[in-house]
Amino acid sequence: MNIAVPPMEDKKANKLKSTRIAGKLVNDYWEMVWRAKEEGKLICWYEGSAINPFLEAADICWVHGEAYSAMLAARHQEETAQRVAEERGYMRELCSYARTHLGCAVSNQRLRGDNSGATPDDDDLTWKLPAPDMIISAYAYCSTGQQWDEMTSRVFGKKVPIFNVSLPWIWASKPDAGYLRGHEWHETSDYVARQLYDMVKFIEEQTGKPYPWDRLRAMMADIKRASELRLEAMDLCTAQPAPASFFDWVVSIAPINNLPVAGVKDYFETVLAEVKQRVASGEGAVPDEKYRLFFDGIMNWNKVGWLANKFARYDAAVVAGRYTHMAFWQEPDLIDPKNPVLGMAQNYLICPNNHAAPILIELIMGLCRKFQVDGMVIHASRTCRAFTNPQFMIAEAAQRQLGIPSSMFEGDVTDESFYKDELLNSRVEAMLEAIESRRMAVA
Amino acid sequence: MERQEIMRRFAEAAGNPLSYARAWKERTGRKVIGSFPMNFPGELAHAAGALPMILQETDDPITAGHGVLFPFYCGFTRSMVDQAMRGEFDVLDAIMFGDHCVQLLGAADGIRMHLTKTRVIFFQLISSMCDPWTQGRSEESFAKLRAELEDFIGEAVADDAMHASIRLFNRNRALIRKLYDMRKKGTAPLGAIEMQHVVKSSMIMDKAEHTDLLQQLVAQFEGAKATPNRAVRLHLSGHFCQAPKPELLEMIEECGVVVVGDDLYHGFRYISTDVPEEGPPVSALARWYMDRNTGVPCPTRVQNNVDWDAYLLDAIRDERADGMIVLMAKFCEPHMYYYPEVKEAFEKAGVPHLLIETEHEGMALESLKTRVETFVEIVKRREAA
Repeated sequence: MNIAVPPMEDKKANKLKSTRIAGKLVNDYWEMVWRAKEEGKLICWYEGSAINPFLEAADICWVHGEAYSAMLAARHQEETAQRVAEERGYMRELCSYARTHLGCAVSNQRLRGDNSGATPDDDDLTWKLPAPDMIISAYAYCSTGQQWDEMTSRVFGKKVPIFNVSLPWIWASKPDAGYLRGHEWHETSDYVARQLYDMVKFIEEQTGKPYPWDRLRAMMADIKRASELRLEAMDLCTAQPAPASFFDWVVSIAPINNLPVAGVKDYFETVLAEVKQRVASGEGAVPDEKYRLFFDGIMNWNKVGWLANKFARYDAAVVAGRYTHMAFWQEPDLIDPKNPVLGMAQNYLICPNNHAAPILIELIMGLCRKFQVDGMVIHASRTCRAFTNPQFMIAEAAQRQLGIPSSMFEGDVTDESFYKDELLNSRVEAMLEAIESRRMAVA
Repeated sequence: MERQEIMRRFAEAAGNPLSYARAWKERTGRKVIGSFPMNFPGELAHAAGALPMILQETDDPITAGHGVLFPFYCGFTRSMVDQAMRGEFDVLDAIMFGDHCVQLLGAADGIRMHLTKTRVIFFQLISSMCDPWTQGRSEESFAKLRAELEDFIGEAVADDAMHASIRLFNRNRALIRKLYDMRKKGTAPLGAIEMQHVVKSSMIMDKAEHTDLLQQLVAQFEGAKATPNRAVRLHLSGHFCQAPKPELLEMIEECGVVVVGDDLYHGFRYISTDVPEEGPPVSALARWYMDRNTGVPCPTRVQNNVDWDAYLLDAIRDERADGMIVLMAKFCEPHMYYYPEVKEAFEKAGVPHLLIETEHEGMALESLKTRVETFVEIVKRREAA
């Protein structure tokens, strides 16, 4: 008899109502992007680090590659882009974010660019992404990011100016090394900050205008505040039942990471208010919280709602995750709005992978303790090796340091074909049984 | 020494690199430093009195390594981790990494976490090659590496020693390039496996010993007349960190192919570029790092003003090759990114090429052979038309 898993009742995740606003903000943002060419705006493509405030301040329309691929996947419209990419020779084992986005670039170039001739379909979001006037590459940890940008430039015949910011990995082998400390951290931060100042010169060359530093400072003050609100709301999820889940924070990535700054502070104020209200009333993110889990890995964007409901049916509240809780302006205290560049550089260096395993593991174990999790679910995303690199070590540390079991499932960021539902079901059920057995033994 | 004996010694080192290292260490009492490909300057470790050796993929099936990395990583990375987990790297006093490939970073983390008694040194080279600060940042990285090495061996590495090592390594590279030139002209009829043994053993053996053998080998081909060969002339491209399996090279040649050039890492890529012999050695190493990407562009770097596809087409013209076989190690992301550029350029230029994806776990050689034979027929017909 399966002791841990009740019959699959028709339970659903109790999503934060305020995250609906994120959906609207996301839609408004992409509408703005699709109109940008007609409005005469310069367009910059970038991936990885959230350099968008630098661009937004300069009135440049910013297009985040992962965000576009994730949006297509969330709307289940990613297949055309992936097919177009495959037709050009990009293989299926490549990062599916990149593959999807490159598919958009190829499609765009064929239909609008040098090889134009076909009739574009206005509903086809693959084609609809406006071509870049510039590319800025600023990708922490993963070599794929820089190569993806370079290949994008080549798809557009190397006619689009490109600027590279190099973000070194924090290896942290010296005695003084640690999270946000040590010579290596400070030297690397300064190195990246110097490049960001050069990036601003590049932006000035593209716009032909002096850079509006005051606008950037004002935006970074807003982002700092939004980040503080987000972290405060996340911290409230130590409550039992947890008022919001990992999946709510996944839906809230776009607002903190790549949406226009103007609406972001308001969004997180609304989210925080709802979280506070839920804590006060004892309302949980899942109807019957019986287990608390940590999610390691990047999101499976085709499956956000699906996974949220699945875990709700298991009475499992996924209360925190590496992707959501260790990234996206994660250290607002480092941002000085009057002089924001160094703090921005440092936040770029704190992507959830850019510190070597000993530091990452220490941070993850800290989150597991803080949120009092019973187990860890690990998404082994097939084409995102940046996330999968330390996962066996993380699982081992969770067992050794915290005595909690973990469960791995295969999936992917935006290529649904890698997702294996039955594997997830059986492994999660096995993990919940292990948790249940441990509880019985303790009792 | 006879050619066969020289080649036997090269093959032996290439086939058993860690055994060679153990014997060398026992003989000399000095340190062995393993490095990851593809940009580690062996000159530095050599000047420090150590044996620098580039770590190699083995044919062994992955066992313990499965507990560290997923199966959807390239064979080289998985083999490295597997060898480390099985204690094969015990002979190494230190391991050095310098690259940014995301899979190699995973291996670096895994190896450091599990080989707690081995010094694992990491320095990240800038991979964006045409920025105003590329040379400066490369110098900083190599200077850090030098400082770490000095800390590791407990004494300073003198500039004079580095210059001497640079000269020796340049001599070694020049001799191998000469062999390449002789092979292209047909005066040194070295097969693809033999050529791999020459280069791979250079990554492993004591450089002075290897250079001495190379000099003897080159001397045996000096003045030789070109041997007529009616086989289809092909260029081999790709395969970066790991050497293509010899049985694959053998199969290709059995299909009526003569390999007249390559840009494999276990081939021309490794010896393409010399380090400047004048000036501060760290600056010279940085210059070498940048020059070699201009000389033989690598998809693991980004350099908008250099085209690997154009380089390959030029190489094929220079080698009078009839076509190219691309060897792509499965899961090699940089290669997967760049391949469409190469494919389109070759299609546009009308130069035939064949893509073969290789795997650590072995390949169905018979079915690959059918593909290569078909490709050779296509090339022949095209030539005849």
